[in-house]
Amino acid sequence: MVIDPIFSDAIIFASLLALLSIGLTLTYLTTRVPNFAHASFATIGVYIALIATRVWDSTPYVAIPIAFVISGMVAIALYTFILKPLIRKGASQAIQMIATLAFDLVVIALLNITADYIVKTYQITSREFSLRSYDGEFMGLPLIVFVAPITVAILAITLHVTLRKTKFGIAMRASTENSDLSGIVGINVKLVYSVSWLLGGGLAGIAGALMSLWFQGDPNLGPQLIPSIFAASIAGGFLSIYGAIAGGILVGLTEVLGTRFLAGEIGSWLIAYRPLIPLVFIVVTLLLAPRGLAGINWSKLRRNGTRA
Amino acid sequence: MALGPETIFIVDLLAIFAVYVIVNLSLNLEFGYTGIPNFGKVLAVGAGAFVAASIPGRIYAEIAGIQGDYIENNLSMVSQINVWLADNTGIGFVVFFLTLGIAAGVGAGLGLLTSYPAIRLRGDYLAITLLAFGESIRIIGNNFTPLVGGTLGVQVPDPLSFLPGELRFPVATVGLLLIAFVVYVYSEKMIRSPLGRLLRAVRDNEVAAEALGKNSTQIRVKIIMVSAALAAIGGALYAFYVGGTIAFAYDRASWTFWPFLMILIGGLANNKGVLIGTLLFVTLRKFIIFFKDSFQGFVPFDVVWLDFLLLGVILLAVLLYRPQGIFIEKPTPTISVNGKPSGLKRMFNFFFK
Repeated sequence: MVIDPIFSDAIIFASLLALLSIGLTLTYLTTRVPNFAHASFATIGVYIALIATRVWDSTPYVAIPIAFVISGMVAIALYTFILKPLIRKGASQAIQMIATLAFDLVVIALLNITADYIVKTYQITSREFSLRSYDGEFMGLPLIVFVAPITVAILAITLHVTLRKTKFGIAMRASTENSDLSGIVGINVKLVYSVSWLLGGGLAGIAGALMSLWFQGDPNLGPQLIPSIFAASIAGGFLSIYGAIAGGILVGLTEVLGTRFLAGEIGSWLIAYRPLIPLVFIVVTLLLAPRGLAGINWSKLRRNGTRA
Repeated sequence: MALGPETIFIVDLLAIFAVYVIVNLSLNLEFGYTGIPNFGKVLAVGAGAFVAASIPGRIYAEIAGIQGDYIENNLSMVSQINVWLADNTGIGFVVFFLTLGIAAGVGAGLGLLTSYPAIRLRGDYLAITLLAFGESIRIIGNNFTPLVGGTLGVQVPDPLSFLPGELRFPVATVGLLLIAFVVYVYSEKMIRSPLGRLLRAVRDNEVAAEALGKNSTQIRVKIIMVSAALAAIGGALYAFYVGGTIAFAYDRASWTFWPFLMILIGGLANNKGVLIGTLLFVTLRKFIIFFKDSFQGFVPFDVVWLDFLLLGVILLAVLLYRPQGIFIEKPTPTISVNGKPSGLKRMFNFFFK
C-alpha cells in the first residue's frame, strides 16, 4: 500500500499541534498569560528523545515519560519563580508576556548549550538531526503515523474524564473560572494552577519527543513553531480544551495540505510562504471571530441553516 | 591614517547605539507612554531596511545609466554605483534623504495597517497579532527575491563613498548620532506637549480620557503611525550604515525583544532611561562579542549562547526586582509658556532632576 507521504506529514503535524495547543490553553486558562516559551518546552522533549536514542541506545519512545516530567518541571519553574511573583506584584499582562519571552530566551540558550555539549562529548549530530530511521514500522508505514494520533486521543480522553469526573478536575475548572470563589470554598488554587502548568508543559514535552521521529530537530525549533501553536489555540478560542484540539487539527491540516494544494494550483514558489498560513489564521480569527471555534454557537447555526 | 582597534570599537558601538536609540524611542512612545504592547516592532524596522535595500540603488542606477538586473548583478552594480557616487555627492545625499522619507512613509503606512487590530483588540490578543505581523516581514523578505535578494541579501549603495576608507565609518557614526539626537529632542518635545499628556491619560485610564471627550482610538492610530515611521527611519539608517541588508537579520530577538529589554532596563516612559538602557545594553553586547574569542577555550560551547542566557536572566531579574527600571517615570514638566530657564539651570535639570 503506497500512501503519499504528505498525508503522514499532515496527520502527524495536526496531532502534535493539537497536543501543543491543549498544553498552551491549559496554562493560559490559569494565569491568562500567553506563554511564548511553550514551543521551547517541546524542543526540550526533542532533545530528550535524541539523548534516549543516541546516547542510551534505546528506542525514542522511552523519552515520552521523561520528557513529560522534565518539560513539566520547567513549566512549573516558569510559573512558580517568575509569573507568580510578578502577578503578586501586580505586573501588567504585557510585562508577564515579556517575562515569558525572556524565559524562552534562557531555555533556547540552554538548549543550544546542550546541543553543543552533545556534539563535543558524544560526537553526535545535534542540530538539524532526524530520528526517523530509529522508528519502527507498522503496515508499511512508520510507527509514528499511528502513535501520534492515538497518543492525542488517549490524552484528550484522559483529560476530559479528569476534568469532568474527578474531584481534582472539578476543582481545576472552578479555579480557572473564578479563583477567588474557589479559594473561599477551600480549593488550593495555587496548587491547582501549578498542576495545570505541569500538565501544560508535560504535554508539550510529549509532543516534542514524538516530533523528533518525523520532523528535523534543532534548538531553535521553538521560534519556528510558536506561530502555528498560537494560531491553533486562538482558532480554538484559547479558553477551551476541545477548541484547542479542533484548532490544532484545523491549522495543522491546512498548513500541510493547504500549502500542497495551492502550490499545485498556482505554482511551487508558494511552498516557501507556508509560515504565513498560521499568521493569516491568527489575524482572521481574532478580527472576525475573536472567540474562535469554541465561541461559535453551533446549534444556533444549524437551526438557521435548516430555516434557510 | 589608519584607525586603531579601540577607535573602530567605539565608532561601531556609537553607531549601533544611535540606531537602537531611534528604534527604542519609538517603542517607548508606543509601549511606555501609550501602553500598546507592540511585539511586532521588527515589522517597521525591517520595512525601513528593505526600503533602503531596494529603492536607492535602483534610483542611482537609473540616474547614472548603469544597466543590469539590480538583484542578480547586485555586487557589481553597487560597486559601480559607489564609484559613480564618489563624484556625484550632491545627488547621493538627495536620494539618501529621499529614501529616509520613503522609509518613513512606508513605515507610517504599515503603522496604519497595524493599527487596524490595535484599536480593536486589547492586551494579549493584540500582542499576539502584532507578533504575527512582525514575523511575516522576515518570511516575505526571505522569499520575495526582488525586494532584498531573498536569502542572499543585497548590498546598499554608500552615499559617503567620496570619503577615504578610514573616515567613512566615523563620519557615518557622527551623522547617525545627530539624527538620533534630533529624534530624541522631537520625542521629548512631544511628550511634554498636550498630546503627550493625552497619551498617558489613554494609557492610565482610557475610560476617564474618553469621558473628557478625548478620542482614544484616533490617538492610538496616530501614535502607532508616528512610532512606525521613526522605527522605519532607524531601520533604513542601519541598512545604510552596515552597507547591506539580509532578511534573516530582521528577527524577533534583535528588533523586538532587545528594544523591549533596553527600555525596561532604563525605565519605561522615560526617555533618559532609554538612552542609559540602550548604552548599557549595546556596550555589554559589544564587549561580549569582543571578548568572545578569549572565552572560547574555557567553555565547551559557542559563547553566543552565553550572551542569550545572560540577557534573558538580566531581563527576568529587572522585571522581578526592579520593575520600574533605572529611572522612574516622573511627572513631566510642561513646556514653559513665558521664557525658558537659563542654560545652566537646564543643564542641572537634565542631569540631576
